[in-house]
Amino acid sequence: MNSDKIKTSTQVGLFVTCLADLIRPQIGFAAVALLEHAGCTVRVPRNQTCCGQPALNSGDSASTIAIAKTVIKTFAQDDYVIAPSGSCVDTVCHKYPELFRNDALWAGRARTLAAKTWELTSFLVEVMELQQVEATYDGVCSYHDSCSGLRELGIHDQPRQLLASVVGLELKEMNENNVCCGFGGLFSVKYPDISTRMVSNKCANIGHSGVDTLLGGDLGCLLNIAGRLRREGAPVRVFHVAEVLAGMTDGPAIGEGESGS
Amino acid sequence: MSAAASQKVAFRERTTRALRDSNLQQAMGKARGGFIEKRLEAMAALPEFDETRDAARDIKDHVLANLDGYLELYEQKVIENGGQVHWARTAEEACQIVADICREANAQVVTKGKSMVSEEMHLNSVLEAAGLKVVETDLGEYIVQLAGETPSHIIAPAVHKTREQITELFHEHHSKLGYTDRVTQREALVNEARSVLRGTFVTADVGITGANFLVAETGANVIVTNEGNGDLTSSLPRVHIVTAGIEKVIPSLDDLSVLLRVLARSATGQEMSAYTSLYSGPRQDTDSEGPEAYHVVLLDNGRSTMLGGDYRSMLRCIRCGACLNHCPVYSAIGGHAYGWVYSGPMGSVLTPLLNGFDDSVDLPNACTLNGRCKAVCPVRIPLSDLLLKHRLEQYRRRLTPLFGRFLVRAWAWVATRPRLYQGLMALPLWLMRRRGRRRGALEHIPFAGGWTDSRDFPTPAGRSFIRQWHSRKGKS
Amino acid sequence: MTEARTQILANIRSALTGGEPRTPLRMNELKARIESSTPKAQPQFEDDLLRRFCQKHVAVHGTYERVAAQDLEGAVLRHIGAHQVDPQLYLGAGPLLDAVQWSAQVFTYFKSADQHTQVAVSEAFAAIAETGTVVLCSGASSPTSHNFLPEDHIVVVDSARMVRHQEDIWPLLRNREGAVVRVVNLITGPSKTGDIEQTIQYGAHGPRRLHLLIVESA
Repeated sequence: MNSDKIKTSTQVGLFVTCLADLIRPQIGFAAVALLEHAGCTVRVPRNQTCCGQPALNSGDSASTIAIAKTVIKTFAQDDYVIAPSGSCVDTVCHKYPELFRNDALWAGRARTLAAKTWELTSFLVEVMELQQVEATYDGVCSYHDSCSGLRELGIHDQPRQLLASVVGLELKEMNENNVCCGFGGLFSVKYPDISTRMVSNKCANIGHSGVDTLLGGDLGCLLNIAGRLRREGAPVRVFHVAEVLAGMTDGPAIGEGESGS
Repeated sequence: MSAAASQKVAFRERTTRALRDSNLQQAMGKARGGFIEKRLEAMAALPEFDETRDAARDIKDHVLANLDGYLELYEQKVIENGGQVHWARTAEEACQIVADICREANAQVVTKGKSMVSEEMHLNSVLEAAGLKVVETDLGEYIVQLAGETPSHIIAPAVHKTREQITELFHEHHSKLGYTDRVTQREALVNEARSVLRGTFVTADVGITGANFLVAETGANVIVTNEGNGDLTSSLPRVHIVTAGIEKVIPSLDDLSVLLRVLARSATGQEMSAYTSLYSGPRQDTDSEGPEAYHVVLLDNGRSTMLGGDYRSMLRCIRCGACLNHCPVYSAIGGHAYGWVYSGPMGSVLTPLLNGFDDSVDLPNACTLNGRCKAVCPVRIPLSDLLLKHRLEQYRRRLTPLFGRFLVRAWAWVATRPRLYQGLMALPLWLMRRRGRRRGALEHIPFAGGWTDSRDFPTPAGRSFIRQWHSRKGKS
Repeated sequence: MTEARTQILANIRSALTGGEPRTPLRMNELKARIESSTPKAQPQFEDDLLRRFCQKHVAVHGTYERVAAQDLEGAVLRHIGAHQVDPQLYLGAGPLLDAVQWSAQVFTYFKSADQHTQVAVSEAFAAIAETGTVVLCSGASSPTSHNFLPEDHIVVVDSARMVRHQEDIWPLLRNREGAVVRVVNLITGPSKTGDIEQTIQYGAHGPRRLHLLIVESA
């Protein structure tokens, strides 16, 4: 516990990301709880909205740049910036510097932000060297590796390592756990047929694995998967990994009614 | 706009058709996974795979940075070996060159080894219009030719066909040749095609193949096959014509070895395909056989323009098909939905560059940017990044729908004003919460039918995290 | 067509350098890179090349027999006998093959294969341990058609011609005496296809069986 003294001073800004902010605030509270448990002082700046990914993926670089500048300013004062989403962190870390390629001043600021921005579970494991959490979850879970986190940030072992310390939780890998669920942001509404086929494949793999809970690190994917599971009537609960790690699983899972349908 | 709009409709129609085509879905379902597992096994057996990929990328980058020089050196060697090199700026020019060679050779029957460049040229229809009998000899290509289709995959042309469909095709086309039994087993199907094509191989006047590589050191074209059809096409007819894109040239035989190590592993998970052959010219005085004439048609068709811009890395592509095999969108809709010769991620990058941005608006957008293509590419082409680049380019050219662009812009304007954003979001969040509270998910959301036709939408909590946090903690 | 050539090369130059002509100096650098070409990024593997070669060859559905030079005819007859093929042999050339005194039991042909050819016997120019590959070169007495038209392809391999990596055959080819080799076939197993249901089926258009006779030099 000696190292805790140093880590107590670790200051982070939480970038809750737009989907978690609007749809599932509990992920934000879970992230704060985990960061504080790991010894961080957490600041939640009020001036935050979205990383700009929808604009970027629509090809609108001017809008993305405007949003990126807001994000860069909002988190300028923080030592670290933490987000519970691999795809938003990928946008900040890899896409922002590229967007400002021809703007030396902002490129420098973008690189500074990129260098201190981390996805939640990888920050907890790699920077805070968190070995375990204090949580209980009674269930057999599978973990869906979201694409940007897995391939652009190398997030694979970190969430699994922390999940291994959750009392009562059994992790069971499903087939094709690293294959896209078909969310892709606006892709899911622009090309609903293809997206539906992809998420149906995902749900079939979840079904074959026989788990009762699906976890992931990106709410976008989880909304897509939970929405499809609901429509198919599959009795699988869906949580963001932070909710399970923080022990915040007493309420309804994603897409569940308040009576726990 | 109208061309773009019509292509858009066409893409959506093709996609819908593909998703409803039970044969296609059955065939793609069977193929899914096989390629991926074999590639993983091959990678596991070669610990040096990643450094070989780096070396392969570096070779291709070096060639591209000196492409004119290597093309000239290659051409010199071909001429020294007694062959002829023809240069074609466009697909039409290339077709004309090939048709002229066939006419001068008084050819009647042409065999073809698998060549994606000849597909890009639409060569078959030009030669058939000139009165030639053109026979594809790669089994997959032969199957799609019988079906009156084009390949749906760059290395597995008939991946979209089930065995039952192939049985029917063979029965329909081979009955008149005396093969009246309806064969259903794989082995029997392969044997029947072997037997039917044997006669064509030995009577063809002209053989047309592609080239996996063109080696500047020796002037050889290299073709890689498993069936041996490319070799029979190269060596038996009187005339051998090689069609190749200008980016296929590589410096030396040592460079070839590096590229071969990543090619077959990425394509089919093999260490080496059954046949890797180097052909470097017409028969010599000392030869007892071989073609009397050897021609190489080098096709530009937009490649030299690609060399100058942000898309140069796409010219590294060695056409292994790994990005198709790993693309979940490709796996869902098959190759034909893409609407042109090249499909999957590499096709979605190439088609707008070779065919024009206006006619392929959907391709870069019908992608989740999941990055699996980029992760598996043997020459490390950042495919998903290039697809994103395409979207930026489309936006600059105003090719995407105006209303969509307006919505994104308006949303972005709000998103840069956090207090306004938080205020505007409050009402819809509250409404959605009210409607979906009990069920936990909404079955229908106005204007979001794309989502809710097939999925519920999990109900928002009602009040945003930021608002909840700051009302709990006071202002920070 | 010279017009197309000029324009394509000019387009490439303008894309690469803004249109400067390629200088003789640069061309010489490219030539020098080719001439001084050396292997890059080769895989490491065990020292026993023959063992590796045989393993890799079997893994791609090939068969082989290790034989003495004087038993080559016997080995050929054993193989074709096992598959009940007529002993009509289309023969290639090579030091080991040329030395065989064929008995009256077999018919030998020294000409191109045709669509009815059942068996060809060739001698490999070299063999590559890395991948279990045999290297066949075209020449006056070794027609390429022998490698692809027969049902059975028998290839004599002199173990002294075994190299470790694929790159090791390039110096052998570069330094070979006589005319430039027009056709080089690197053959790794018998013909096959995966075009029906992505499932491997042997004997697509080329030989159904690839049988090696490995002669270990003293």
